Amino acid sequence: MASTEPVVRVDDLRVTFPTMDGDVHAVNGLSFEVPAGGALGIVGESGSGKSVTSLALMGLHRGSRARITGSIEVAGQDVVSASDRKLRRMRGNDIAMVFQDPMQSLHPQYTIGNQLIEAYRIHNPKATKAEAHKRAVESLDRVGIPHPQKRINSYPHEFSGGMRQRVVIAMGLMCDPKVLLADEPTTALDVTVQAQVLDLLDELRTDLGMGLILVSHDLAVVAGSVDEVVVMRHGVAVERGDVRTVLAEPEHPYTRALLAAVPRVELSRAQRRAQDRAERDKREGRVTEAGEFSAFTPTATPAATGTDSSEETPLLRVEDVAQRFGVRGGVWGRTTDFWAVKGVSFDLFRGETLGIVGESGSGKSTLSRMVMRLLEPTRGRVEFEGRDITHMSERELRPLRRDMQMVFQNPYSSLNPRVTVGDAIGTALRVQGERDGRKVRRQVQELLERVGLEPDHYNRFPHAFSGGQRQRIAIARALILKPKLIICDEPVSALDVSTQDQVLRLLSELQDDFGLTYIFVAHDLAVVRQVSDRVAVMRAGEVVEMGDSDSVYEEPSSDYTRQLLNAAPVLDPDEARSLRAERREKRDKKTAA
Amino acid sequence: MLNYILRRLGAGLLLLAVVTAVTFWIFYVLPRWAGVTPRGMAAMYVGKAPTPEALDATVERLGLDQPVAMQFLEFVRGLLLGQEFTFGRETVECAAPCLGYSFTTNSPVLPQLLDRLPVTASLAFGAAIIWIIGGVAVGVLSAVKKGSFFDRLAMGTALVGVSMPIYFTGLLALAFLVHKWELFPVSRYVPLSEDPVAWFQVMFLPWVTLAFLHAAQYARQTRAGMLEVLGEDYIRTARAKGLSERRVIFKHALRPTLTPIVTIFGLDVGLVLGGAILTETVFSLNGIGAYAIDAIVGKDLPVVLGVTLMGAVFIVVCNLVVDLLYPVLDPRVRIAG
Repeated sequence: MASTEPVVRVDDLRVTFPTMDGDVHAVNGLSFEVPAGGALGIVGESGSGKSVTSLALMGLHRGSRARITGSIEVAGQDVVSASDRKLRRMRGNDIAMVFQDPMQSLHPQYTIGNQLIEAYRIHNPKATKAEAHKRAVESLDRVGIPHPQKRINSYPHEFSGGMRQRVVIAMGLMCDPKVLLADEPTTALDVTVQAQVLDLLDELRTDLGMGLILVSHDLAVVAGSVDEVVVMRHGVAVERGDVRTVLAEPEHPYTRALLAAVPRVELSRAQRRAQDRAERDKREGRVTEAGEFSAFTPTATPAATGTDSSEETPLLRVEDVAQRFGVRGGVWGRTTDFWAVKGVSFDLFRGETLGIVGESGSGKSTLSRMVMRLLEPTRGRVEFEGRDITHMSERELRPLRRDMQMVFQNPYSSLNPRVTVGDAIGTALRVQGERDGRKVRRQVQELLERVGLEPDHYNRFPHAFSGGQRQRIAIARALILKPKLIICDEPVSALDVSTQDQVLRLLSELQDDFGLTYIFVAHDLAVVRQVSDRVAVMRAGEVVEMGDSDSVYEEPSSDYTRQLLNAAPVLDPDEARSLRAERREKRDKKTAA
Repeated sequence: MLNYILRRLGAGLLLLAVVTAVTFWIFYVLPRWAGVTPRGMAAMYVGKAPTPEALDATVERLGLDQPVAMQFLEFVRGLLLGQEFTFGRETVECAAPCLGYSFTTNSPVLPQLLDRLPVTASLAFGAAIIWIIGGVAVGVLSAVKKGSFFDRLAMGTALVGVSMPIYFTGLLALAFLVHKWELFPVSRYVPLSEDPVAWFQVMFLPWVTLAFLHAAQYARQTRAGMLEVLGEDYIRTARAKGLSERRVIFKHALRPTLTPIVTIFGLDVGLVLGGAILTETVFSLNGIGAYAIDAIVGKDLPVVLGVTLMGAVFIVVCNLVVDLLYPVLDPRVRIAG
């Protein structure tokens, strides 16, 4: 720490993958430095070369086809030219890495103790087993694993996702590295857990004087944790500088676009809608009546929010629904009951959007499946347009399926890879009795245009499309039957920030045009606020708070909602830091008590 | 954990009971459905060309005219408590577990099976050791050096190995290694306890022949499994720790690769223990497989039934061993207990 030399210095790094179609330049002339004890954020969307860069820093490209030129220095050691042996001595010792998916990055068949001790002894061959064990316990304690002395003998599957990420971090700390490289360390985690892990990384950096490189697709994740930020696009750093300057006065248009796309929790639904509509008018004023959409004439004017809808019957009425699952286990494999949803009620009116927020395991997906009647509620009642559909048979439900459709989370697995886009969308029409093939084709093509794709995409297969385009296809598939209700289950959580923004915009436009009613399920608080009129916050199968979205966000009545809002990543570096200090203070108080 | 063991044991016993019932059904009930009379059945059991009186006597002795349920009870009782067979004045005791009485050889089946078991067991275990070590070693090397000359050669050989039947490779080995170049002795089976060196010399070729077929299959599976494991995130973690490639392969990648292989290995060993018919026949080893072939050719039904049951027992037992071993190999299975 005493030295003023940077611990990591990257100069004109180029990583090239030779392919059949010529060289792909994954990283093209990247330079940055991390001072000892400093923190650098690398931000970019998928394909920007940020993960390739982090692998290159660890020298993990050895043995692959990648060609690396330029220089990478880690703790004074040149990574590009180092011998394998020197490289191994550096890994884990000078620079440790934390990966994206904690569920996959620990060996499932060894105890965490075994894996931690191994990490220490490989670099300290003279250390005894007892010393290494003691160190592992300390390290686990340091990252906040409760009862480390006992837990050291547990296997990875006995920990939750957040705890596993702590274990991976503890493993990284075993040899007191000079830099910790964290590649999307919180992308797979819930909001509150994400905040905890980011807080931990920040704390370790300040307490241990360790450098930190934080790689993420989300500017808001790095904002509060780093001093300097590099924004990457197509393998090139488009902008680099102090995090406060970059976020406050971005110079490059790409950074500006990226910043604009980050969903902001302080932006209300009304503001966002006004913004979107203004932009749309401007755009469509210029393009004169492009894409006339005859088969889908707007069925309703943009829904007047709230006031007159309270008198009519709700489109959907959910009364005290609950879902029980049997969990096998116990003596002689007896099943025990697990209530995924424990009695939830709400009304949903035409043209309205209900947002359901919750962390994993809160029961939000189970609830939406019951509403869709993909699951039969164990208890309670679901009414659609005044008809009780709680226990309807599949045959009786079929005509109603027209009116409710679903858009799923993962656009990569929710489309059949062997069915063309046109067939995927058109099948629903055929199932519902349309026999005229040309008519189906025309309708599908019109709809493809409406969701922002080309009519000649009709015969292509899903693999030819990006994640955002696939989600558009999924939306078209849901729309083709002109449904009244669309349930979106985490529709944008698998997408990059800018794609996310485009898809949200599309959903909002479609709602305006067709008077759609949405149930929007997501874990991202900011996203939910911007699309929802009302919000239900779920936890452990129960709704802890429900109400008008602005009031829930501005004056939350439950502790849990406050906790969630407090944990949401914030774009303003100073605000993020003060929120972090607040959380730390609260926690210290709790441990002191 | 204890719960898991008890459950597995229970399942094993249940499976044995089911196998017994099915075997009985095939040998006693199915022929009757096909229209064979009790006397016809008796003829199958007596063998040779019997007089009508002898047939009637056999029908009565075996209870072939009894209702099926009674026959099954008698069969199970024989298995559990033993049975007696009377021939005129002579009475033969068939102690429990009585697998039946062969009229061709005039002796109970089980002792004969047990007599031949050492031969088959020598063959099975010897070959199994060779094929598991050889197959896994080649598979691991192939995966690590994917695309190399070694990999292509090994996988080519493995393809040949999987494709060639034992009576071909076995006879080829006999013709050249034993008869033409006289590298191995022409000899009958010698028990291990009598002369270990001779035992080894006799068994070596059968082992290699039987192992070749299996090793080829194991090499292919190990390679595929290893390649998949090497793509896992936790292997990247291991490399990022600074571990040597050798440690990454042998500590981190090998164990998950072997876990599914152990399952097939258990089944294969059980199968071969029940009689490696082709290998035993080609190399004139007087094991269980050869015994079964003789019985089938000589229509000695009690022996066929006995061999079938014994083979089933071996497979069930080996499977049980694998099941009990599994939680040791993969800790994630343990919570299920």
